[in-house]
Amino acid sequence: MKNIDSKTHTRGKSIYLDDIPLLQGTLFGAAFGSPIAHGIIRSLNISVAEQMPGVIKVFTAKDVTGENQIGGIIPDEPLLAEHEVDFCGMPVAFVVAQSDDAARAAVKTITIDIEPLPVITDPREAKARGELIVPPRTFSLGNVDTAWQACEYIFEGIAETNGQEHLYIETQGAYVIPQENGALKVYSSTQGPTAVQRASCRVTGLPMHLVEVEVTRLGGGFGGKEDQANTWAALCALAAHRLRKPVKYSLHRMEDMAMTGKRHPYSSDYKIGFDKDLKMVAYEATFYQNAGAAADLSPAIMERTLLHCTNSYFIPNVKATAYSCRTHLPPNTAFRGFGGPQSMFVIESAIAKAADTLGIDSAVIQKKNLIKTGDEFPFGQKAVSEAAECWKKAEQLYEVNSIREGIKDFNSKNQIYKKGLALMPVCFGISFTNTAMNQARSLVHVYFDGSVSVSTGAVEMGQGVNTKILQVAAIVFSIHPDRVKVQTTSTSRIANTSPSAASATADLNGKATYLACTRILERLKKVAAEELGVDENLIELKDEYVFVNNVQSDLDWKKLVNTAHLKRVGISEHANYATPEIYFDKAKEKGHAFSYHVYGTAVTVVTVDCLRGIYEIDAVKVVHDFGTSMNPAIDIGQIEGGIVQGIGWMTMEEIIYDKEGKLRSNALSTYKVPDIYSAPKEISIDFLQSDKDNLAIFRSKAVGEPPFMYGIGTYFALRNAIKAFNPLAHIPFNAPMTPEKTLLALYSNPQPLSKEIKRKDEEAVTSVAIN
Amino acid sequence: MAKKGSGQNQAEENYLNESRRNFFKQSSLLTALAVTPPAFLKAAEEGLDEKAAGYFEKMPLAIQINGVNHDLSVEPRTTLLDLIREQLALPGTKKGCDHGQCGACTVHVNGNRVLSCLTLAVTAEGKKVTTIEGLADGEKLHPMQEAFIKYDGFQCGYCTPGQIMSGIACIREGHANSDDEIREYMSGNICRCGAYPNIVKAIADVKKGGQTL
Ligand code: FES
Ligand code: FES
Repeated sequence: MKNIDSKTHTRGKSIYLDDIPLLQGTLFGAAFGSPIAHGIIRSLNISVAEQMPGVIKVFTAKDVTGENQIGGIIPDEPLLAEHEVDFCGMPVAFVVAQSDDAARAAVKTITIDIEPLPVITDPREAKARGELIVPPRTFSLGNVDTAWQACEYIFEGIAETNGQEHLYIETQGAYVIPQENGALKVYSSTQGPTAVQRASCRVTGLPMHLVEVEVTRLGGGFGGKEDQANTWAALCALAAHRLRKPVKYSLHRMEDMAMTGKRHPYSSDYKIGFDKDLKMVAYEATFYQNAGAAADLSPAIMERTLLHCTNSYFIPNVKATAYSCRTHLPPNTAFRGFGGPQSMFVIESAIAKAADTLGIDSAVIQKKNLIKTGDEFPFGQKAVSEAAECWKKAEQLYEVNSIREGIKDFNSKNQIYKKGLALMPVCFGISFTNTAMNQARSLVHVYFDGSVSVSTGAVEMGQGVNTKILQVAAIVFSIHPDRVKVQTTSTSRIANTSPSAASATADLNGKATYLACTRILERLKKVAAEELGVDENLIELKDEYVFVNNVQSDLDWKKLVNTAHLKRVGISEHANYATPEIYFDKAKEKGHAFSYHVYGTAVTVVTVDCLRGIYEIDAVKVVHDFGTSMNPAIDIGQIEGGIVQGIGWMTMEEIIYDKEGKLRSNALSTYKVPDIYSAPKEISIDFLQSDKDNLAIFRSKAVGEPPFMYGIGTYFALRNAIKAFNPLAHIPFNAPMTPEKTLLALYSNPQPLSKEIKRKDEEAVTSVAIN
Repeated sequence: MAKKGSGQNQAEENYLNESRRNFFKQSSLLTALAVTPPAFLKAAEEGLDEKAAGYFEKMPLAIQINGVNHDLSVEPRTTLLDLIREQLALPGTKKGCDHGQCGACTVHVNGNRVLSCLTLAVTAEGKKVTTIEGLADGEKLHPMQEAFIKYDGFQCGYCTPGQIMSGIACIREGHANSDDEIREYMSGNICRCGAYPNIVKAIADVKKGGQTL
């Protein structure tokens, strides 16, 4: 089935936050952010701003009617800075004016005097100073301390990954409209309507039933609008609450980039040991997460880092420790993969280091150690694995051996261009790591004209969740999809929602919808049995008709629901779904954290231009464990998009904060994301069909996050290409591998001064004469 | 003949004077913006210069948008994007960066693609502008819209209007002769959801179809 948003997307008729028609009298907000990263506020001067034409009010911390606090997991993040600023761009004042221009002009007149304090941007430094968001956590399996003795080979090192800007093309924003009786209606571009509701209530002091949050759809979220949408909604809610006027704030791109947190940069230590057959025996890792200035979702992200520290491999002895380190950057936050990609990069680096030293291909080590069904993850859950299946299928289907031979051949014939290959197995756990969040609700109304309305807590942000939910209702009732409408997400219709995150949105909300529809269906069957005077067990609904014992009756869907209504049978239902089986014991750091795992293997081939350090991704070929896909077109899109984003993180996306904690890569001109030209030339996706798990909706498997980590393969493929040019190249495990770093690596540690190049390509060499 | 009469001619004279005055006002405005921005901005900042407000005096603008003629009055600093979205309430054209860096705001001016966030509305005087809302003919979609649906050339949809407008122009310009060429000439339109492979397919398919766009 086509994505149900196809028509409106292609006609420009989809309604995002900034497209909501404005009510008369709407005011516009703009935030004044701290110009420096850390310090004590001596004075704040808003008097000029207050006098600016069109300005209605300038809000500061003292105007907060409720609690000046928006921290979700830990209350450590004021909405508006009061005594201290902790990161550049931290909101200090909020101007509300009659026009967007007036608000922004007024922001420019605000001045602040801050007594500077030392700025920390490095997580290891933060850890050394004891600046931790939460106490560290350690996951262990077996006993690493004794296991080292059994190892034939041991390798250690450091691996680092930079952050990543979400760069949803729709920036953050909110529009709040006062309602009767002091209530507020909040439109927000958020993945977490309930989080926005909670934050808005907290700062205004209103109870939750007076604040309705509604989300039409998002122009991309990727995790960046999970908790970080709260600030803007809370600011507008506060202003609307105080002024009793609609207030809107849609961030400018540069405000968004400067003021919001990103994927967490990590710096990590690893130590890995193998027996003589290259079986992994022991693995020790320490992760330093750069959390930024406030907790945001960092503790949960840190947890997932630990849960994925062994990626797709079984290692009998593991000790992994993670520190969430407080620095003076904007609070870093969720981003597709949620800490998982960061730890997977570390173990892949450890493997690459071993392979380099032993002079073998990483794939030899990877393949030997893939996790099997029954093997234990470091957190105690037993794997139900498709790792080897995906790997083997990828090897065969994409003829990895002949790719390898082809590359060898190419590299021996080409001096300036070198190709590299890498395989990347991925194993990603599905469920929120916070067990309580693994619940969802669905409200299904069947109207007596036969149309159906479905509301859930899911937010549509391009992942196609609404299409999948609509499919669920249409399949259960066996009616034409056109009869079903999936409504906007509203906290008045569905309360206490979990955010649309953790790849679990379709699973959870789909299941809840399935439950609601099934209950209505049961009642409808009863009505049909009465109407037709037959036994209820003989009734079935198929293609809009009631069937008795497999024979079509005259009773169609429309008549049936109408009859049910006349008989005063309820044809609405609100259902609650809670993922079974999962639990986690934090005291022991053991449990059944995930409903299931998604597996896959990616084969990546790249070509590096060894004169300039630029490169192309020739192909990414994937075997992915879809379970039984509910919507292959949507799922393929998710995989392709995830791969491109993962490659971006590993290659060109370089966030630069200076020592003062100021963002230097603050626009699309200085922060590059993959454009259509830099995406892989070829992406092939093969469905590994499996139906072992029956925990997600209709035996499908979640697809949002796992493919992101295929992008990690690109980093290692680039590394291999560089090695083909300069076998002695010094290539620290430090992503992203920008063209600049590629060039440095190509000519590092004794530069291969290739007489051959000189011989064969005189001209080119003149320009190689770098260093 | 040589002598100026009264009545009608006087009206004409007035009209011409008025036009001259307008022209003068406009050109001096542009000169003012180009030559003395610091002083001007300072005046604006201090909020004391009546003249500053005068610079923002609205200008008439005759423009055709999606086949409809509009006689508007706009501030000279208004971008075509803001005009379309805010004054004309056509929100299909998206603002992704307002700096000419993402392509979400792509529209056609006289058939050529432009970034509406980098285009001052007044420069489109007398021109024909087409936005995403103007492509379909009633219920009948433009071939590029059809192709984007057929190949699922979107996820969140936010970049989609810009991609479609750009895709059409890419073919019109003769820059869609191979997948590589399409990629190169579509590289100004960012899709963070990464729907790129399908966008290439959609454009290539329309190109193959050979319709005049
Ligand atoms: S909004 Fe015009 S290019 Fe981004
Ligand atoms: S579809 Fe989301 S940005 Fe392109």
